[in-house]
Amino acid sequence: MSSADNKRTIIVGIFVFLAIVILVAGIFTLAGQQKRLISTISVIAIFDDVAGLKKGNNVWFSGVKIGTIKSIDLYGDAQVKVTMNIEESAQQYIRENSVARISSESFIGNKNIVIEGGTQSAAAIEDGDVITAINPLNTDDLMETLQKNNKNLVAITDDFKVLTSRLVEGEGTIGAILTDTVMADNFRTMVANLQQTSRRTVAASNELSRFTSKLNSPNGLANNIATDTVVYSRLRSSMAELNEATKAAASMMETLETTSKRLNNQNNAAGVLLSDEQFARQLQRTMQNLETSSQKFDQNMEALQSNILFRGFFRKQAKEQEKQQEQLKELLESQPDTTNRQ
Amino acid sequence: MDLDDNKPGTAPTRRRFVTTRRLDRMFVELASVYRFIARFFKEVWFPPYEFKEIIKQCYEIGVRSLPLISLTGFIIGIVFTNQSRPSLAGFGATALLPALISVAIVRAMGPLVTALIAAGRVGSNIGAELGSMRVTEQIDAMEVSATNPFKFLVVSRVLASTFMIPALTMYTTFVSLLGGYLNVHQNELTTLTTFFYQVFDAITFLDIIASSVKSVIFGFTIGMVGCYKGYNSSKGTEGVGKAANSSVVTAMFLIFIEELLIMQIINAIRAV
Repeated sequence: MSSADNKRTIIVGIFVFLAIVILVAGIFTLAGQQKRLISTISVIAIFDDVAGLKKGNNVWFSGVKIGTIKSIDLYGDAQVKVTMNIEESAQQYIRENSVARISSESFIGNKNIVIEGGTQSAAAIEDGDVITAINPLNTDDLMETLQKNNKNLVAITDDFKVLTSRLVEGEGTIGAILTDTVMADNFRTMVANLQQTSRRTVAASNELSRFTSKLNSPNGLANNIATDTVVYSRLRSSMAELNEATKAAASMMETLETTSKRLNNQNNAAGVLLSDEQFARQLQRTMQNLETSSQKFDQNMEALQSNILFRGFFRKQAKEQEKQQEQLKELLESQPDTTNRQ
Repeated sequence: MDLDDNKPGTAPTRRRFVTTRRLDRMFVELASVYRFIARFFKEVWFPPYEFKEIIKQCYEIGVRSLPLISLTGFIIGIVFTNQSRPSLAGFGATALLPALISVAIVRAMGPLVTALIAAGRVGSNIGAELGSMRVTEQIDAMEVSATNPFKFLVVSRVLASTFMIPALTMYTTFVSLLGGYLNVHQNELTTLTTFFYQVFDAITFLDIIASSVKSVIFGFTIGMVGCYKGYNSSKGTEGVGKAANSSVVTAMFLIFIEELLIMQIINAIRAV
């Protein structure tokens, strides 16, 4: 073999080798990406409708691709049995109470299965386990709901259109508010007043804040009450005494009530005296009679003094009185002398 | 038998055509093709094996075609990506460009573009070379010198074509994807890792197998058509040109037919 032939053979060999390298690299990349070269377990989910899911579509868990769809078979009563190949490394994270849901990789992308949920208390899934399936939201149902929403939106915008036209025309209370200039001025004034009030409120709250801070100051009353045990004990004893006084006052009030009741009662002397009107009138007449009698008695006594039989007695009595007055006068006059001597 | 003996104006002495002249010609051609292919499969298994000639033809068909096919594949990758972008951008799905490029290039464009370019370059080359050998009676000379011209000329070229076109398809696919990546990276700032992740996410083993099988069939077709046309050429230098031209046209036509059939078969398998 000539050197030219040899060179040509080597080049062809390199060419073929590189082509094989590209092919093998592609195959291994694909196999790695489709998790074909790693050990997997089979997990089953039974759906009512798989919404176009296909064999080979991905299985996701927490946003990570963990396997592919192995097979899709009709099962039972018009249901679909989906068998998934799931990596053994993900097995420990998927619990028996996890659920499988059919999702979409994007709005127009491939369908896939998303495994989610599951609690730590449940055991990890095993090969051949069946997990609960959540049936996907049908696109037709979605569109139907959207259509209803659209109709509602149209109705709302129609109503809003009527409402705004009425507002613009100044109909109704809010329309009047929006269009009436006087009302607008009033509203402006009201807002100004509200602003002023709010400023005052702020000032008042500041004052209150200062007051409370003073109360909380170390020498303040509230602080002393809260912290000084002596003051507290005194206050406590004062409160106890006040409590006793209140009880005594209550007792006194009770007694007074009883007394007033008795006074109001006409079965006793004081009650009759205070509350019996007939007795009062009798007493009044008696007093009038007494007054009249005493006047007459004075007249009788004056007449008696002029009577010859008793005139001497009265003169004698007058003399004795004069005599006692003179003695008293003398006694009073003599007392300053004795005082000066002393 | 000359099929043109029954000239108009002369009274036919006996029925010269089984059907019509054109149909008879077509069936004769088909029978000739069948015999040619059958002879290839008969010869390919038995020694002597012309390894040296096969290597030479691999070099001519594979290595010498690489620059042209690589450049074409790279440009096709860029152009296809650029032309596909507006369609996807219309509904905000330019992120799906790598997947689209992957499916288009791996499933169809890689093998098809390689085969068409090879049909143009290799098919015409084989047709012209064997045609000129036929009209200059070199093939007849080989026959009388105890060399099997069919084994030496046809089997070696068909085998080389069958082996090299799949290899060229691998290169074309890879280079086209690189071209697509360049365009996607320029516009969407997608990284190489993300791009190739999405590329391989969109395809399956069936796609790679189908692409490989297709390129083998295309390679066999190009080699076989070129050899048949060249080996059976006649009418002097005019026949050489006709053989070269006919090799390219027939090979391209058959490639499209095969693409259509294989696509149907692969889709049927994919649906199972």
